[in-house]
Amino acid sequence: MLPLRIALRFLKTSRVQSTLIIAGIAVGIAVQIFVGSLITSLQDSLVQQTIGSTSQVTITALDEGEPFVVDARVRNVAESDARVKPGAIAPTLSVNGLYSNGNESTPLALKGGDLKSLDAISSISKRITAGVARLGRGDILIGTDFAEKFTLSPGDSIRITFSGNKTRTLTIAGIFDLGSAAVNARQAFVNAEVPRSLLGWRTDEYAALEAQLLQPFDSAEVAATWRQQLPNLRVVEWQAQNADLLTALQSQGSSSYMIQAFVLIAVALGIASTLAISAVQKTRQIGILKAMGMGDAEAGRIFLWQAALLGVGGTLSGLALGFFLLWGFSFAGASFTITPKPTFIAFSAAVGIIVALLSSIIPIRKTSALDPIEVIQGG
Amino acid sequence: MAELLLRAENLEKVYGSGDTATHALKGVSFELAEGEFASIVGQSGSGKSTLLNMLGLLDTPTSGMIAYRGQDVSALAKPAQARLRNSLVGFVFQFHHLLPEFSVLENVLMPALIGGKPQVEAKQLAEETLALLGLEGLEDKGANQLSGGQKQRVAIARALMNRPALLLADEPTGNLDTTNTEQVYKLFRQVSAETGTAFLIVTHDRNVAQQTDRILEVLDGELVQDVRNDYAGAPAR
Ligand SMILES: Nc1ncnc2c1ncn2[C@@H]1O[C@H](COP(=O)(O)OP(=O)(O)OP(=O)(O)O)[C@@H](O)[C@H]1O
Ligand SMILES: [Mg+2]
Repeated sequence: MLPLRIALRFLKTSRVQSTLIIAGIAVGIAVQIFVGSLITSLQDSLVQQTIGSTSQVTITALDEGEPFVVDARVRNVAESDARVKPGAIAPTLSVNGLYSNGNESTPLALKGGDLKSLDAISSISKRITAGVARLGRGDILIGTDFAEKFTLSPGDSIRITFSGNKTRTLTIAGIFDLGSAAVNARQAFVNAEVPRSLLGWRTDEYAALEAQLLQPFDSAEVAATWRQQLPNLRVVEWQAQNADLLTALQSQGSSSYMIQAFVLIAVALGIASTLAISAVQKTRQIGILKAMGMGDAEAGRIFLWQAALLGVGGTLSGLALGFFLLWGFSFAGASFTITPKPTFIAFSAAVGIIVALLSSIIPIRKTSALDPIEVIQGG
Repeated sequence: MAELLLRAENLEKVYGSGDTATHALKGVSFELAEGEFASIVGQSGSGKSTLLNMLGLLDTPTSGMIAYRGQDVSALAKPAQARLRNSLVGFVFQFHHLLPEFSVLENVLMPALIGGKPQVEAKQLAEETLALLGLEGLEDKGANQLSGGQKQRVAIARALMNRPALLLADEPTGNLDTTNTEQVYKLFRQVSAETGTAFLIVTHDRNVAQQTDRILEVLDGELVQDVRNDYAGAPAR
């Protein structure tokens, strides 16, 4: 207890120094929390945008574009896997068409399926911005960007041309926003009958069985398992289709770790030098205390306590400052929100305190080794 | 004759080695009884401080033996020596060596807290000790807010806090004027009488030495004289 009391007094009597170092730790920890949370949230948001409303593991025929029969056995492989988001399995058909309003035309990918299973993958119903979510035989759901480009609204009829000069006229039931401009401009949803009749497939034949997972990053493992169980079909995971995105995420992640590591090193150097200076400044006092019978280890503990107090004080201030920065960021109008993860916050706090404790090693060694006679003789 | 408190046997101290070696002590032996009031005199550089620091376990002799109450302490490990420094001896130096971050009371309390004495008990003892040295009312002052004489009296109070068997003082009044000097020695006498603490006071002032019961003289690292002084306690000249 005595070393703690002395540590507190030493810190209190050099108030400016203590405040500065606490501020230093606080800024370091705040930056660590802010940058770390920012990058993680940005990545989550990117991943969510890219794959949140699409299939994460897709089963198709070996020749893509060919039909395959979605029977009980195939369904069971996906349904019985605990890593699949419950109910998030959808057999779909796809067909590409061309929409033209006379002077401008654009390709449109039609995905056919029943609304319930499409919802399980893309949550279309929740993302309808105009009209209703309905997929009758003559209905089509289009994206906001597509609707805007051609000034279309629910109730309008559009004529779409397919290969072989086939056409279909469909009525816009609703307009969705799936969070990605590319999807909103090119993707449309229709009743399964639309592509089926165009392709001439049987009712149990589909182009793909789509699935979403509880943990999107499990998809490679899931795909590997399914591949073994379904040797006559193709199983593709989203990572394989989005290698660029993964590389980007990875390099973003490592640059974030670099920033955090350098900030922590700066903080550690700051605490270490402050404590070392403090240990030198207090040499006389330590010598006197030792002359009065204080043990080497106990004298060293004065600086361990100083480090602990500075570390805890700095880290707590850093947490406050970090949350303040995150709160301030919420007004910056970014396209995503930062949600700090409790485990990451706890990790940052632990790192702050551990770094502080580690940086007390040198002053503690110095203090323990000090011979009181040096101080007493020196006067 | 009182019980034996301290026995020093053939103490030698060599600083450095080779050509630059200084033979600060060349085999000093003497004994000190419990409650004795003695002084050490000698020229500057004769080895007085060296001897005192070794007796107080602050410094280790190159050879020789120190025994307190029959126990050889010169071979003890550092932590055990630190404990003895805390409980058995008190130091007063020429410079007060108070801790500027702490109040008068806290400075005096420090040896008791280092020794692990319970707070309440220690506080009461500290108050008593401060009163013994006429420092009542200064408890909450900062150690830096005192006069030179007051500081040295606080240092003495601190040295006496753990009621040591022996108080070692190295030129304790070297920085004080005549009035304060006399006051300090009067206090030493009084404390010695009230607590039974033995005193070993290094001084270059013959007048001061004359007021102690026994005078040890060091010359060039050797103990050259050890005389009983029957004039001590006689009215000051
Ligand atoms: N740390 C040291 N290193 C080398 N030599 C030292 C050291 N300390 C003391 N000495 C030498 O040892 C001798 C005795 O020194 P000491 O301090 O004991 O003398 P002293 O009698 O106390 O003198 P003073 O009256 O001036 O205080 C001196 O020659 C001194 O130079
Ligand atoms: Mg000296």
